[in-house]
Amino acid sequence: MDTRRECALLLLAGAVLLAGVLSVELAGGTVDYQALGVAAGLTLAWLLAAFTLRRAGHGGDGLLLPLAAVLTALGLIMVLRLKPELYFVQALWAAIGLAAFLAAAFLFRRAERWSEYKYFWGLAGIVLLLATALFGVDIGGNRNWLILGPVHFQPSEFAKLLIVLFLAAYLSERREVLTFATRSFGPFVLPQPRVMAPLLAVWGLAMLMLVAQRDLGAALLYFGTATIMIYLASGRAGYLWWGTGMFAVGAALAYALYPHVRVRIDIWLDPWTDPSGKAYQIVQSLFALGSGGVLGSGLGYGFPRLIPEVHTDFIFAAIGEELGLAGAGAVMMLYILMVYRAFRVALLAPTPFRALLAGGLAVLLALQVLVIVGGVTKFLPLTGVTLPLVSYGGSSVVATFILLGMVLAMSERRPADA
Amino acid sequence: MLDNLRGAVRRTAFVLLGLLAVLFLYLSYIQAVEGDYLAGHSLNRRTAAAAAKVERGAIYDRRGEKLAYSEQDASGRYVRHYPYGAMAAHVVGYTSPRYGQSGIESAFNGELSGMTNPERRFGPITSLWRAKAGNSVTLTLDGDLQATAYKALGRRRGAVVAIAPRSGAVLAMVSRPAFEPETLDDDWQAIVGAADSPLLNRAAQGLYPPGSTLKVMVAEAALAEKITDKRKTYTCEGTLKIGPDYVLGESSGRAHGKVDLEEALAVSCNVTFGRLALELGRSRMAKTFDRYGFTRPLGGEIAETASRLPDFSRLGDGDLAQTGIGQSSLLVTPLRMAMLAAAFANGGIILKPYLAAGVTAPDGTALKKFGSSEFVAAASAATAAEVNGMMQTVVREGTGYAARIGGVKVAGKTGTAENPHGEPHAWFIGFAPADEPVIAVAVIVENGGGGGDVAAPIARQVMARALR
Repeated sequence: MDTRRECALLLLAGAVLLAGVLSVELAGGTVDYQALGVAAGLTLAWLLAAFTLRRAGHGGDGLLLPLAAVLTALGLIMVLRLKPELYFVQALWAAIGLAAFLAAAFLFRRAERWSEYKYFWGLAGIVLLLATALFGVDIGGNRNWLILGPVHFQPSEFAKLLIVLFLAAYLSERREVLTFATRSFGPFVLPQPRVMAPLLAVWGLAMLMLVAQRDLGAALLYFGTATIMIYLASGRAGYLWWGTGMFAVGAALAYALYPHVRVRIDIWLDPWTDPSGKAYQIVQSLFALGSGGVLGSGLGYGFPRLIPEVHTDFIFAAIGEELGLAGAGAVMMLYILMVYRAFRVALLAPTPFRALLAGGLAVLLALQVLVIVGGVTKFLPLTGVTLPLVSYGGSSVVATFILLGMVLAMSERRPADA
Repeated sequence: MLDNLRGAVRRTAFVLLGLLAVLFLYLSYIQAVEGDYLAGHSLNRRTAAAAAKVERGAIYDRRGEKLAYSEQDASGRYVRHYPYGAMAAHVVGYTSPRYGQSGIESAFNGELSGMTNPERRFGPITSLWRAKAGNSVTLTLDGDLQATAYKALGRRRGAVVAIAPRSGAVLAMVSRPAFEPETLDDDWQAIVGAADSPLLNRAAQGLYPPGSTLKVMVAEAALAEKITDKRKTYTCEGTLKIGPDYVLGESSGRAHGKVDLEEALAVSCNVTFGRLALELGRSRMAKTFDRYGFTRPLGGEIAETASRLPDFSRLGDGDLAQTGIGQSSLLVTPLRMAMLAAAFANGGIILKPYLAAGVTAPDGTALKKFGSSEFVAAASAATAAEVNGMMQTVVREGTGYAARIGGVKVAGKTGTAENPHGEPHAWFIGFAPADEPVIAVAVIVENGGGGGDVAAPIARQVMARALR
């Protein structure tokens, strides 16, 4: 893909953003030129980022930035619609995210250099998570916030990337052990303890998040990604069964011991027994999606504010209501394309480390979309994770941009790698 | 080695992208297939929230008095007010986010809510024709007359219907017991739990035996079918033996002696009218009910309950004679009896009763006007005039004397309808002034007793108010 086409796609994303901001403002009755200016500025920044990359000779996948730009645009439009006071903050985060995207796109060109410090990254990830578990502050029902002076952030969003980086490096070095070294007890195949160590460690981390922070979504995400990465590295489906088994044990324990987990499962199985109480949020989300129908009510003409937490975890339901299946389906298609491009990078990767890193990031992105979109549509039990790039929240936006920057860097096919 | 890894990546990609595709299909199912159910679910507050954003149109009476209007409260939400409260509750109806709508609020909900085309499938385009305020509806109702009728009925169960016989315009429609439409949501449990059904609009949906008020129709049929004329006399011995074991008696038990048709109507002679019904026979009796439109649904904005007529082809002689005096299994609504009275006030033509006179846009532009239309041509002008005259005699000299108004010719007929629920229902139907009628009424008081004593004075108050 040449630069011209990438710029055309970015201009399209900019048009979506400007048109969306304008229709939200017209529906509200007042036109705020500042908001439009910010939208135009962001469009310029996207174009500038594309130029910078190409001018520096970066040959990465030209589809990733436009995909991220459209999703960011839809997120900004919905934040302006749902919480206008947070629009400028979110736009600032989108700009910071873009800078982080560029940085990652250049820094991960030589991804192997990062694998040398794998234990540091792994440790940093664990420390971040432990710090949240110990000093975490409860904001909006999830105790996964850290407050450092003026900055509030959610370390688990960044720790995800560090853990994936660590696992990719650790597993790519031990692929042979993973694949062949097993002890057999009759029909049971047991892997070496040191191979199982990272799996057990991540399982422990996930359980800790579940217990200390009630962060069901993050626990699921971490554990699912780690299990699939071990499967990728070993090529043995047995690890998936081990992972599923361990997760099942953890989930069963959580169901038995923690009432809030039990409530989540029960309202998933039948929300209509208590639609105005415990299942209020999911029922409101379904009403929003259903009322939106195929074409939606139009921006500003729906009632998405009937859903609690609509601008973060439930932003997808608001898109479904005001933009209809047309809009929500488009968002799904964008994620499917994005995940597909990330897997493509993994498939074309020249080294196992790169394949595992890109594959792990693709899995992380896919699982996150599955968990939150599945949650708000009652396809899966509801767990609180953000919709990447769309939900309000700086940590999530910046972390997702870094993830895409890493994928972009590895999508570059350079003679040096061959 | 790398091929191994690529195979695993490919399989993982297939499974995860497949799952995302399944989720996409599930989302389509929720939004496109389940959408209508979820959008219309009773717990989904979106319809009510959309309605609360729009100023619901007002409902006016014929003089422009407000019967219902919406006003913003301190929080900016629109709240519905009903100045006439319980007095016009059944006609005007209620609108509640929880319990839906009734009456005009229901029949004209599309106009009043400003959402005449709540078509979700067109998506955002619908906002182009979404109004800021609903249209208002003007009724033919006369607020003063409505209040008079409501107060005249007092605490008794019953109904009053007043229509303009020359146009079909409904001037008053009262049903008691009633309810307060403004506090319906709070009172709902008490209202639906009440044994005397306050939500029922007795005027158009209450079914009652018409009793002797039906005799005006039988008299007209007997004249039209040439079974009798004004000179022919009948002898009333107090009872009418039908077949071997059936006896039709006078309610008073007294014999009326020798009477002609006019005198028989004036004293409400059961024997004479039982005999006339027998002479008319099953098919001509059935045809008469057809002629007066009893078998034809009204349609339009007035929600009525259809009359229950006996199956004439299988009717025994005793029941045929009973039907002639408005008993047996015959059940009708007060509205239909007001229409019967109006037939003789309007030269035999029954005009279709209507409640809505017009629809007006928020800027004052008249959008729709409704007018008179013929419902049925029930009788010839000549026989109608004869019955009109006989009905004047009923009020001047007969059972309907309590409906007399000084200086005005009043025509009418009383009824005291036997029923299985205790005391007889008191009925009165009539119109005034008899030679230039402007109002036709039907009054019923459930288990009220004698029609002449109980119902006729109420009709008199309503007619006098209309003539003032």
